[in-house]
Amino acid sequence: MKQWLLRLEPIIWLLFGQGILLGTLLLTGWILVVGLAIPLGLVPAEALSYERAHALASSLVGKLVLLALCALPLWKGAHHIRSLAIDFGGAERDTAVAGCLYLIAIVGSLLAIAAVVRL
Amino acid sequence: MSGSKKTFVITRFDPDRDEAPRQQSYEIEVDPRWKVLDALNHIKDEVDPSLSHRWSCRMAVCGSCGMMVDGKPSLTCKDSLADHGDTVEVAPLANFPVVRDLVVELEGFLDKLKQVKPWIIRAKERAVEEGTHRQSPAEHQEFKQFSMCINCMLCYSACPVVANEPDFLGPAAIALGHRYNLDSRDEGDHERQEVFRGEGSVFSCSYANECSEVCPKNVDPAAAVNQAKFRAVIDWATSFVVPRGGEG
Ligand code: FES
Repeated sequence: MKQWLLRLEPIIWLLFGQGILLGTLLLTGWILVVGLAIPLGLVPAEALSYERAHALASSLVGKLVLLALCALPLWKGAHHIRSLAIDFGGAERDTAVAGCLYLIAIVGSLLAIAAVVRL
Repeated sequence: MSGSKKTFVITRFDPDRDEAPRQQSYEIEVDPRWKVLDALNHIKDEVDPSLSHRWSCRMAVCGSCGMMVDGKPSLTCKDSLADHGDTVEVAPLANFPVVRDLVVELEGFLDKLKQVKPWIIRAKERAVEEGTHRQSPAEHQEFKQFSMCINCMLCYSACPVVANEPDFLGPAAIALGHRYNLDSRDEGDHERQEVFRGEGSVFSCSYANECSEVCPKNVDPAAAVNQAKFRAVIDWATSFVVPRGGEG
């Protein structure tokens, strides 16, 4: 398991890095629009009416953005919590902790893929 | 120059006598122009010859005088006493086994330096008659910053990952390996990638950036570590396309 983790480190770090970069960027934009701009009436609610949102989400770009939005923050979170666990003295249990956290990220990512494919 | 008094609370440890490190205070007259190292040398020469500490060049070049001063990793020959209060705490560098008083064990660190193969590796050595390897100033600039490390180990005592994962290669060793990977004369990238992605993985770094904060030579090891991660990712990704020859 430890060797596996070591071997997969580059891809995990890449997903984590993109989680920071793309995930944070997209998530911030998402929260600004859906959580603030629409409720405050800065953007008319019809702009994200079901039909429009569905059309946007079913385009290829829309699907990719949604996938990134759902999956990348999971990797960012998993990796951060893993580092945190080590900082709090969990270095010995790192393999098990990392395995569980990345498993959650993998399952979440697969679910996100399944969801956007069905859109 | 009128002197003033300062109290130095120094961590002492004699492996033959002490079970655990203890603290000893010395109140001495100091010259305001002194560095922390000057005060330690004064204590050793005039007050207590049993005090052990390392130093050599007194000009921030040899890297041997690193200690914790007031809880922070510091190069004591560069650290002005004027920047500290009336009581100054001096302890051995954190994250290293202590040999005696302020002297720490270097073996583990030196072994990590060796692991990254800090020398120029060529796929095929070139004959002397063929002349030297030429390098342009721009190519030299690529790695110059990372070659300024004086191995003072302050970055290891500042690094939270080193504290928790003793196998982690650590800032200075990764910066040194990366320095050779960036050298236009070197062809040992793949050999070092194995080390960078092995037990002491560069990916263990959680980018706390403490190493670059404490580095007295502005090497910016955190930048080296993160560039090394990116290179490791590229190397890993291209390994699927371009098969690696001559491994092992
Ligand atoms: S004595 Fe040489 S670096 Fe301080």
